Amino acid sequence: MVKVANQDNNVRIRPKEEFNFFQDKRVRSVFYQLLTAGTVGWLLWYLASNTTQNLALRGMNTGFGFLDSVAGFDTDFKLIEYTPGVGTYLDIFMIGAINTLLISFVAIILSTILGFFVGILRLSKNWLVAKVALAFVEVFRNTPLLIQIVFWFIGIFSLLPVVKKTIDLSFGSEMLLLNNRGLYFSTPIFGDLFWLTALALLTALVGVFFLRRRARKLQNESGAQTKILLPSLALIILLPSFTFFITGMPLAWDIPTLQGFNFVGGASLPPSFLALLVSLSIYHAAQIAEAVRAGILSVNRGQTEAALAIGLKPGKVTSLVVVPQAMPAIVPPIISNWMDTVKNSSLAVAIGYNDIVSLFMQTTLNQIGHAVEIVAITMAFYMTISLIISGLLNIYNKRVQLVER
Amino acid sequence: MKLRTKITTLVGLAALASMGVSGAFAQTLEIVKERGHLRCQVGAPTPGFYNLDSDGNWYGIDVAICQAVASAVFGDKSKLEIQSVTTQQRFTALANGDSDLLSRTATWTLSRDTRLGLDFMPPNFYDGQGFTVRKDSGITNAMQLKGAKVCVTTGTSTELNLTDFSRENDLGISNVTFDDFNVRDDTYLNGGCDAVTADKSALAGNLAAFPVPADHMILPITLSKEPLAPAVRQNDSQWANIVRWSVFALINAEELGITQANVDEMRANSKNPSVLRILGAEGELGEGLGLDKDWAYNIIKNVGNYGENYDRFIGDGPQGIGIAREGSLNALWTNGGLMYSPPMR
Amino acid sequence: MTIVRAQKTPDRTPPLSETSILGWMQKNLFSSFFNSILTIITLYIVYITVSGIYIWGIADATFVAENRRECYNNSLTGACWAGVIDWFDNIFYGRYPREEIWRVNFGGLLLVLWMAPLWISKVKGKIFIGISVILFYPFLAGYLFSGGEKGLFMQVMVSGAIIAFIANMLNVLTSRIKGQSLSKFLISLFRQSNASDKSQRNLILGVLVISFAAVFFWQTGWSLEGVVWTKWGGMFLTLVISGVGIAASMPLGVFLALGRQSKLPVVKVLSTSFIEVFRSVPLITVLFMATTMFPLFMPEGFVLNKLVQVILAIILFNACYMAENVRAGLQAIPKGQSEGAHTIGLSYWGTMGLIIMPQALKHMIPNIVGNFIGLLKNTTLVSIIGLFDILGMLRSISKDAPWIGLHKEPLIFGAIIFFIVCFSMSKYSRHLEVKLSAGNKH
Repeated sequence: MVKVANQDNNVRIRPKEEFNFFQDKRVRSVFYQLLTAGTVGWLLWYLASNTTQNLALRGMNTGFGFLDSVAGFDTDFKLIEYTPGVGTYLDIFMIGAINTLLISFVAIILSTILGFFVGILRLSKNWLVAKVALAFVEVFRNTPLLIQIVFWFIGIFSLLPVVKKTIDLSFGSEMLLLNNRGLYFSTPIFGDLFWLTALALLTALVGVFFLRRRARKLQNESGAQTKILLPSLALIILLPSFTFFITGMPLAWDIPTLQGFNFVGGASLPPSFLALLVSLSIYHAAQIAEAVRAGILSVNRGQTEAALAIGLKPGKVTSLVVVPQAMPAIVPPIISNWMDTVKNSSLAVAIGYNDIVSLFMQTTLNQIGHAVEIVAITMAFYMTISLIISGLLNIYNKRVQLVER
Repeated sequence: MKLRTKITTLVGLAALASMGVSGAFAQTLEIVKERGHLRCQVGAPTPGFYNLDSDGNWYGIDVAICQAVASAVFGDKSKLEIQSVTTQQRFTALANGDSDLLSRTATWTLSRDTRLGLDFMPPNFYDGQGFTVRKDSGITNAMQLKGAKVCVTTGTSTELNLTDFSRENDLGISNVTFDDFNVRDDTYLNGGCDAVTADKSALAGNLAAFPVPADHMILPITLSKEPLAPAVRQNDSQWANIVRWSVFALINAEELGITQANVDEMRANSKNPSVLRILGAEGELGEGLGLDKDWAYNIIKNVGNYGENYDRFIGDGPQGIGIAREGSLNALWTNGGLMYSPPMR
Repeated sequence: MTIVRAQKTPDRTPPLSETSILGWMQKNLFSSFFNSILTIITLYIVYITVSGIYIWGIADATFVAENRRECYNNSLTGACWAGVIDWFDNIFYGRYPREEIWRVNFGGLLLVLWMAPLWISKVKGKIFIGISVILFYPFLAGYLFSGGEKGLFMQVMVSGAIIAFIANMLNVLTSRIKGQSLSKFLISLFRQSNASDKSQRNLILGVLVISFAAVFFWQTGWSLEGVVWTKWGGMFLTLVISGVGIAASMPLGVFLALGRQSKLPVVKVLSTSFIEVFRSVPLITVLFMATTMFPLFMPEGFVLNKLVQVILAIILFNACYMAENVRAGLQAIPKGQSEGAHTIGLSYWGTMGLIIMPQALKHMIPNIVGNFIGLLKNTTLVSIIGLFDILGMLRSISKDAPWIGLHKEPLIFGAIIFFIVCFSMSKYSRHLEVKLSAGNKH
């Protein structure tokens, strides 16, 4: 209570604060915090002590030493060198981690593109297209992903032609082959002077960058739009190919060829990868499509009308006026969708794609035990990725907020 | 005042928590009897061994072991709680006391026997890993699988055996791994693999379900020895004895010609002392196990003998998967198999 | 000079595109060359999909058969729905004893009846209905589903639940017929309308005590057969796990969200890290940890059944997502609200409980429904760790001797079931969203 006395003299007498230990706000805040920290700390200590006691009691050995022991099993799909009987469980972890990252990365890119596409189709004026897009979104959003993954694998990718009837997707050049054992593609073998071509490409890219800057500056100054698409394309295509031919075409292809049961050479992706990729991309595209639609609808209709009124073409209205304004509403849900994509890739185990859960948390755990360590490592792996992605989101949010104010 | 209550609660909680620490694993039999039913661990449904029917009942040759032990302890095979546990959790769930008995096609190996804190019981099924191939592929010998893709399920020793086989013979086989055997078989049927590998019992069972079984065949080679055995927690010899002799009782009953149908008659009229002893009409065999004298009688009365169960679930019975017993390792020793029980006297 | 027509100008005929089918098609399907191409391609895709599904799923399919071989004999390429039909009980109720299935249905029906008045207009005292559901229904349903001997506590709760349910039903009747809430109706029935508040309250209390005693006495006369949790399964188990998961994660989520916004640094850091840790790992690893490692965390000899472990894991996991929903809801409330509440002297909990939360809850409902849909779909993961939820049952069909290898049809059947449930819920949530946002525009 503030008592104001002696108003004539305009002197305020500060109320006498009585220090009551149990009523003081700061003391209470410190007390509550200590209590919380204490409870949580005690809980953690309690769980940890139980665990060590239980482990000792059951004679289960602990420690991360098992990572160095030799793994005896082979995997179908791996991006790093590994020989069974020589490679260690650490290698197995690496293979799994890289496979998870690979599938998540590609699925994130595909689902984002597809999601934008479907989200815009949802708003199409073509009734049929809009309805089909709606059906697409509803069907894939409302069924469990696990069922979808198994369906794509058994229902679609297993039913592709057998090896002997392989489809050539590259029109006869045998660079890209598809059958029910997977997607086979040729890999480039770079010659000695190939770096010159790469350098030329880099130069062309830098050139295009400057061209764009000049064009934008011109537009800002005079309002005139310069067409830079054609010259840029010419630069990017002509300069490297010219160098390429002049240095004597230093590039060969390792083309997959049929030997015995299978194609040998080139590189390949197993059907489990393709099925997981398609199902993850479609499932998350359906989610992203909704975010995109909601974002676009959140842009005031007046914006579109005004843009049309100043004579922009409908395509330009979408790309220059609507989408940029919708972005702050679209991006956060999309990024959290990326996080979900990474997490959902763990369902790979159902169709035998060698991701970290399948290789490390299943096969390795079965072979060697060490449940606590393996689960901890796996969780730490996912946490790291998720934290990186949510870090991206935070950066974006900060930027958008700054721009808005 | 409030603070004091909170502190008292905390202290109380801590005391409560530290109370539970004691040697709880000592006497499984006591725990089971006190609980009133047996907790028996099987796996995700697997044809022949443990499986669900459309009425929600478990059946299979490993389930029969669970029922036999429940009958031995309680005289009632329904005093049983079947837990279905995944491959990853099977050994932990037994070790931490969640279940009393593991009866789920676990292969008896030295490292498992010594490292995982459990004791294996006599095998109730001898299996071995093999290959299924298409007849029109022209493969008749496993050595022809050079560079082939072979479908396999994850989380078992099957993967390991396949890799060993491939390395040993320099075949360069690549594993295509699956979580679920249906997906594995569909992939094979659609041509995604050149062969399927699994334990031969499973191969035979699944082959019978292919659209045209005659188009496929199981290669004669056997990659590995897979003695599938029940297991119990280590350091409880009384409980281990009960489970061990329950398995033996099933085998012994078949040897002596005691069946579910004639068990009462045999107990009443048999002149064979072995039969009378095992059925509890003579002697006190149950005493040593800590059970009553009817324990083996109850097993056979409720579950039948080993051969009956084999026919029902593995052989040609309506719930069976059609694997012949004759000439296999699972025949009685008198017929050239490995099913042998020490004498029960 | 003004020109005024004496008659109304005749209406112009509506444009062709609004009246004839051809016109509509021209406007909506073939408005431009590009659109026409798009329409034709889409039509083709739709045709291929629909005809393929029709031939496989209906035309060539087998609906009645004893086993899979019979399906094959009928058609090698068509679907074999007979297996799914044979397993209906397992798919929906799991291994629940067949003669006790009515208990599950009855439990579901009770919930629907109990909650239905919330959607009926003119019903009085909706807040009491909500509270009574949350307070009593779990015990009644829990007893219905698991049965066994009732302890004293359970007897009290079951009796309470029965009273609450009956009172709720009577309340609906009196509200609809007399336009009075049940208590008002009782008071007027005993001609006490003009009596003092105290005697009115005593009257209501008296009625409650008498009816409670009667119900309590009645329920001691019977008990239900015990059904252990391992017999629960199928859709029933899926709904139990996700239902308990969503209901229990709500309060926990509210606390976590408040903790995250707290001014106390320790509380804030702990809640934030808890939320972020659980949100950053896949549910399957959490479930795996719960079933494999939970027993290791506990003191020796302390055994919780797997269902409880799974539900606990799902509650913890979902609470973190719920916390984010709550946070979003809290952020939608203008700061002036909490400042205003503070000014009139409400404490922190008073502000939150009486001013902020009720408003935020309204914003959160669509998100919570969305969360529930997600949880329902995610619950299928428990099949990977060995529980027989609907997916676990569907996958077991292919192992049963008569139906060995039959696994596509069950999966598709499951997908259809999930689609029906989730789609109707998401439609409802969208409807709610529209309704709520309409209410916001003053």
